[in-house]
Amino acid sequence: MKMFARAALAAAMLAAVPLAVAQPAAAQGTVKFGALYPFSGTLALLGDESFRGFELAVEERNAAGGLNGQKIEFIKGDAVDPNQAVGEARRLTSVDKVSAIFGTYSSSLSLAATQVTELANVPYFELGAISDPITERGFKYVFRTNATARDFANRMVDSIIEAIAPALNAKPGDLKIGIIHEDSLYGQTVSGYQKSRAKEKGLNVVEVLPYSAKSVDLTPVILRLKSAGADVVLQTSYQNDTVLFFRQMKDQGYKPKAVMGAGGGYSTRDTMQAVGAENMEGALDVDFTQYNTNPKAAPGITEFAAKYKAKYGIEPRSGHSLANYMGAKVFFDAIASAKSTDADKVRAAVLAVDIPVGQTATGWGAKFSEQGQNTRAVPFLMQWQGGNLVTVFPVDAAVAKMKTGIGAN
Amino acid sequence: MDVLIQLVLNGILLGSMYAIISVGLTLIFGIVRVVNFAHGEFLMVGMYAAYLLAAKFGLHPYAAAVPIVILLFAIGAAVQRFLIQPLLGAEEHIQIFATVGLSTALVNLALLVFGADLYSIPPSAAQGTVMVGGFSLVKGQLVMFVCALALVAGLHLFMQSTALGRAIRATAQNRTAALLMGVKVDQIYVIAFGIGAACVGLASALVMPLYPVTPTIGTYFVLTAFVVVVLGGMRSMYGAFFGAMIIGLVDSLSGYYIAPDLKEVVYFAIFLAILIFKPTGLFGLGRGTE
Repeated sequence: MKMFARAALAAAMLAAVPLAVAQPAAAQGTVKFGALYPFSGTLALLGDESFRGFELAVEERNAAGGLNGQKIEFIKGDAVDPNQAVGEARRLTSVDKVSAIFGTYSSSLSLAATQVTELANVPYFELGAISDPITERGFKYVFRTNATARDFANRMVDSIIEAIAPALNAKPGDLKIGIIHEDSLYGQTVSGYQKSRAKEKGLNVVEVLPYSAKSVDLTPVILRLKSAGADVVLQTSYQNDTVLFFRQMKDQGYKPKAVMGAGGGYSTRDTMQAVGAENMEGALDVDFTQYNTNPKAAPGITEFAAKYKAKYGIEPRSGHSLANYMGAKVFFDAIASAKSTDADKVRAAVLAVDIPVGQTATGWGAKFSEQGQNTRAVPFLMQWQGGNLVTVFPVDAAVAKMKTGIGAN
Repeated sequence: MDVLIQLVLNGILLGSMYAIISVGLTLIFGIVRVVNFAHGEFLMVGMYAAYLLAAKFGLHPYAAAVPIVILLFAIGAAVQRFLIQPLLGAEEHIQIFATVGLSTALVNLALLVFGADLYSIPPSAAQGTVMVGGFSLVKGQLVMFVCALALVAGLHLFMQSTALGRAIRATAQNRTAALLMGVKVDQIYVIAFGIGAACVGLASALVMPLYPVTPTIGTYFVLTAFVVVVLGGMRSMYGAFFGAMIIGLVDSLSGYYIAPDLKEVVYFAIFLAILIFKPTGLFGLGRGTE
């Protein structure tokens, strides 16, 4: 309701400004962006969390004088599903005539909306969706700061070699690896990259088991892993199936040496609470940067969390806001250096961005490929320890030492 | 061999969960002759009720079963009285649309009130396991097994030896004849729908300790429940019970020996085979039992 009132007020002001003080306002100038996120529906929680990061970046920029002296003004678009994402992208580009759109959290929404903006020659800045094809379609004006599904999968497999095997004093090739995943697009994609990376690195994958995320019983999956003697389990999952897997793993007395998730269900506090902190202890997770990260490797992360709390009154609900904040800042800087919102000039400026790893609030660097993909976005390895998700790898971003095993013994 | 026995035990316990969820659906279908597509959402409502009672009053779901069963009876009766009854004269598919609509409305209502997050109750003893001869059995599932047996036995007694039970059976067998014998058929329908919903209320209290609740949790269970009902011969409570056991075993064994993502394929193949070769179900009474 409050949100609606605020939006209505903003709309009223927008309508009133050109009438009352049209000339001075236009002379001073504002730059209009679209903020396209799922604000309602099932994706709303993390959609809104993502938007908050963008909103904080805008406020910070405006407080510091805006973009080349112009205030940033944004118009929200509510993308509940791919159809509506297309509709809202059309409205933002043709009716509201925004200079660029920022979004989107969900990959299917981003894939749909970018079709519209590309045809309209409006830059689209993706700050949170991980599906690889978003920046693999040869689009000129689609740019993405965050890591992709392939980056996630590679980091998971590489962590076995670089972090888990040394901790176990084992040769990576000797460890038996089980890959399990829910069987929708998300699980299929990430596990596909995991399989090819594991093969490339010569690891021994003993089981690959897809299952429906709506399963009410994962005991067969667990018994298969147990029979195969899997030491390390990689899981790509949502919340419900993560909870079920951990509960039933305990029921069946299966104790692998390490279990690692690809974000999703592994990152949320709800999952940890449903599983129980003592059962979740030691679960590894590759995801966007979370808040228990060494600020030396992610300068600005502590300040961001403080600003977030001051504005919204609660701790950040996930790393999505941070990723969106970091991405928005990178693109604001690029647009500022382009000194124009012309799409081709913005593209040239984005491709010229060169930030080394470890100098943004997420700890990522920024350097964009011809396809618009950030090649310096590295997801970190995190671990549940004492009911908190802490960064454990790479070492300079870590705040705790990684341990092996699952569940408090 | 050990794995096989563990899988069979799990299958039976899983089957008892499917049974306790499906019994209500069978009752509603067998007596009121309405395919209740909102059955999964009744389960969801019951689970949120169990969650709230646990979170606000610290009530263990097993203790909360009593108020939840009463609540679900009231909801079921109200749905029959105010949604289905006005449509009884209409064609059958209109009633199906009504329950599908109700299901969508309830899911979105839950989204509005609780959001897409999952809620679970604090871990309790029900999540623990007991070891029997080297095989682990989840306590909460054992409770479900006992309750499923008790529920079917209790309903059997109720149907066979009370006046109301006889009236319900009479209505199920022949609505017109029952009406002529002075049975208040409309009232019987309201009560029967209420009992069916109350059964799923009991199920939700038993499921809550083992599964966290989300607005879409109903869809996790309801498709299986429909398979169980058809397998059991549509209206037979006992058929549904054994149908559920079969599905539980198929689920458990095919998940291990074939592939976890193909277990639905296996039991839907069985489902189709039964529809083709024995449309009245494994335990059906044959055609013409109207």
